Amino acid sequence: MNQFGVLLKKEWRENVRNYKLFWIPTVFILLGILEPVTNYFLPQILDSVGNLPEGAVFKFPIPMPEQIIAAIMGQYQFVGLLIIALAYMGTIAGERRSGTATLLYARPLSFSAYFISKWIIASVIALLSVWLGFLAGYYYTYLLFGSVDLMGLVQFMASYSLWILLVVSIVMVSSAMMPNAGLAAAVSLGVIFISQLVDSLLGAYWPVSPMKLPAYAAAWLETAPDLGDFWWSVGVTIVLIALLIVLGIFLSRKRAATTKV
Amino acid sequence: MSVLEVKGLTKSYNGLLAADHIFFTLEEGTATALIGPNGSGKTTTLSMIAGLLKETEGTIKRDFKSGVGFLPQYPHFFPWLTALEFTEMAAKISGVDGKKARQQSVRALEFVGLGSTVNKKTGAFSGGMKQRLGLAQAIVHQPKLLLLDEPVSSLDPTGRREIMNLLKSLQKDTTILYSTHILNDAEEMTDQLLFLKQGKLVEQGSLAEVKSRYAEPKIRLRFETEAAAAAFEERMLWQMRRQRNVIDLPLSENGPTMQQVLEALAHNGNGISGVDRQTASLEEIFHKVVGAK
Amino acid sequence: MEEPRLILLLLPVFLIQLGLMIFALVDLIKTPYTNGPKWMWAVIIIVVNIIGPILYFVMGRRNY
Ligand SMILES: Nc1ncnc2c1ncn2[C@@H]1O[C@H](COP(=O)(O)OP(=O)(O)OP(=O)(O)O)[C@@H](O)[C@H]1O
Ligand SMILES: [Mg+2]
Repeated sequence: MNQFGVLLKKEWRENVRNYKLFWIPTVFILLGILEPVTNYFLPQILDSVGNLPEGAVFKFPIPMPEQIIAAIMGQYQFVGLLIIALAYMGTIAGERRSGTATLLYARPLSFSAYFISKWIIASVIALLSVWLGFLAGYYYTYLLFGSVDLMGLVQFMASYSLWILLVVSIVMVSSAMMPNAGLAAAVSLGVIFISQLVDSLLGAYWPVSPMKLPAYAAAWLETAPDLGDFWWSVGVTIVLIALLIVLGIFLSRKRAATTKV
Repeated sequence: MSVLEVKGLTKSYNGLLAADHIFFTLEEGTATALIGPNGSGKTTTLSMIAGLLKETEGTIKRDFKSGVGFLPQYPHFFPWLTALEFTEMAAKISGVDGKKARQQSVRALEFVGLGSTVNKKTGAFSGGMKQRLGLAQAIVHQPKLLLLDEPVSSLDPTGRREIMNLLKSLQKDTTILYSTHILNDAEEMTDQLLFLKQGKLVEQGSLAEVKSRYAEPKIRLRFETEAAAAAFEERMLWQMRRQRNVIDLPLSENGPTMQQVLEALAHNGNGISGVDRQTASLEEIFHKVVGAK
Repeated sequence: MEEPRLILLLLPVFLIQLGLMIFALVDLIKTPYTNGPKWMWAVIIIVVNIIGPILYFVMGRRNY
């Protein structure tokens, strides 16, 4: 327990002093704001570019506020995940490669405390970023397009948060497994994007899937997803996250010998 | 009482034996120097004992309760932590609790000469400062066994002297195993020498034992002129080596004793200007034991 | 929506971008070592909007 507290403090310091606590939320907030703003200005932008034939009357459908929020999620699903992967790809692999981990591993280190402390801090920062981003995006959407159902927004954010925890877990496990940060990012993004692709192509056959969590989350903005499928997917995701954490602990212990001496 | 017992320790990197069936024991309160050329397996051996590297074969018996301190050859620190923060964290991970961790960290940092830079971020540390900090974190939890991989390699001559003296002062209640290329240092602090060559332990023993085995003492005679030296060489029937005006007489069992040499000089030593008894340095032994390919 | 309100709306976006850039530049000046030359990172941070500072934080700083 004592070790866990010490390592938690170390991770927190790392994220504060390497400014991850500041720049990651900032980028998510920026993405959240830019989505409603660009949507709002899109007609004017197209107009000023002026490649529409003279006299052509082009009616832009005004998007619903819910669509804007869902579009922010679309941004997070690509740029956001990329940023989470890049920010945490080196959390274990980088420590081993540079040799900073050596001085920890030479001590009676609890690898559970080691991995879980990293997982917790990365999760806190990723969730903080996503929430702040959605809140900022919601505020702009409200100003420019109108309000969305607040209850739905909360349910949406809560469901999407679980997905983010899954993403963080995958990135952390890759970092525990791979010999360097670059490979860890490539593997984790590869796993996430490929399984999403597979799920979107063939997923009609299985309604219960962690990969469907973002879609189910977005459904809360409209009305609600199919509750049975939704809760089953939530359950499966929680189990998967737990398994990934166990795997991460195992791998960080097993691969400790690859640290640079 | 032995603190560490290594039996048949072997590490294979895809067939390359970086450590090849190594046997040795460390007695409590002793200092052991691990010497050998680059790539002979010093770091590999120390890493396995520190528990960082899994051995391919063999056993390491050590009293795990008493704690181990390890200084890597190139210690690397989280650049965003200060020296004190790092040392304190290291102490706590090794089970030292709160208040004591701070006290012991400050003491360890002052001990290695980093007293004025405890609050500096380690990212801005020089190589020598890192080595000192590495030593501080190795001793902060007061371990019974210290494993030091070239502990003074990045230090300037004064710093080297200073740290070697510190290590000697620790030796009273700590067992030390350290590798080094600086043979003068090894000669100064060693109860046991281990010579590694291509992963094999090719020689071991105390400094005196090794010296008696490899280095026959000799008498060096210096003459004023080369002619005088040559004349002495011609008159005496002992086995000797002459180089210009200097003659080396090995003090071996069938050679002359010191007394005989001095008597010979009294009668035939025209032009003698110096007499020296010389024992071989560890460096010469090093070349003999592990130098030849 | 009338002009002044629009500018008020967009102001935070510019401020955040500027903040990110200044933040990265200040850190670049303060940090003793970077991966790659400092002037290159300065150019990237200033020229490439948003992505530049992120690239610097992820790849330019020595975090481990
Ligand atoms: N990770 C590794 N993979 C493959 N071979 C390795 C690895 N680490 C070390 N070796 C090899 O093992 C041998 C012993 O290396 P080691 O680092 O133990 O030598 P050393 O005595 O510490 O040398 P130095 O004086 O240069 O520090 C060398 O031949 C080296 O090339
Ligand atoms: Mg070495």
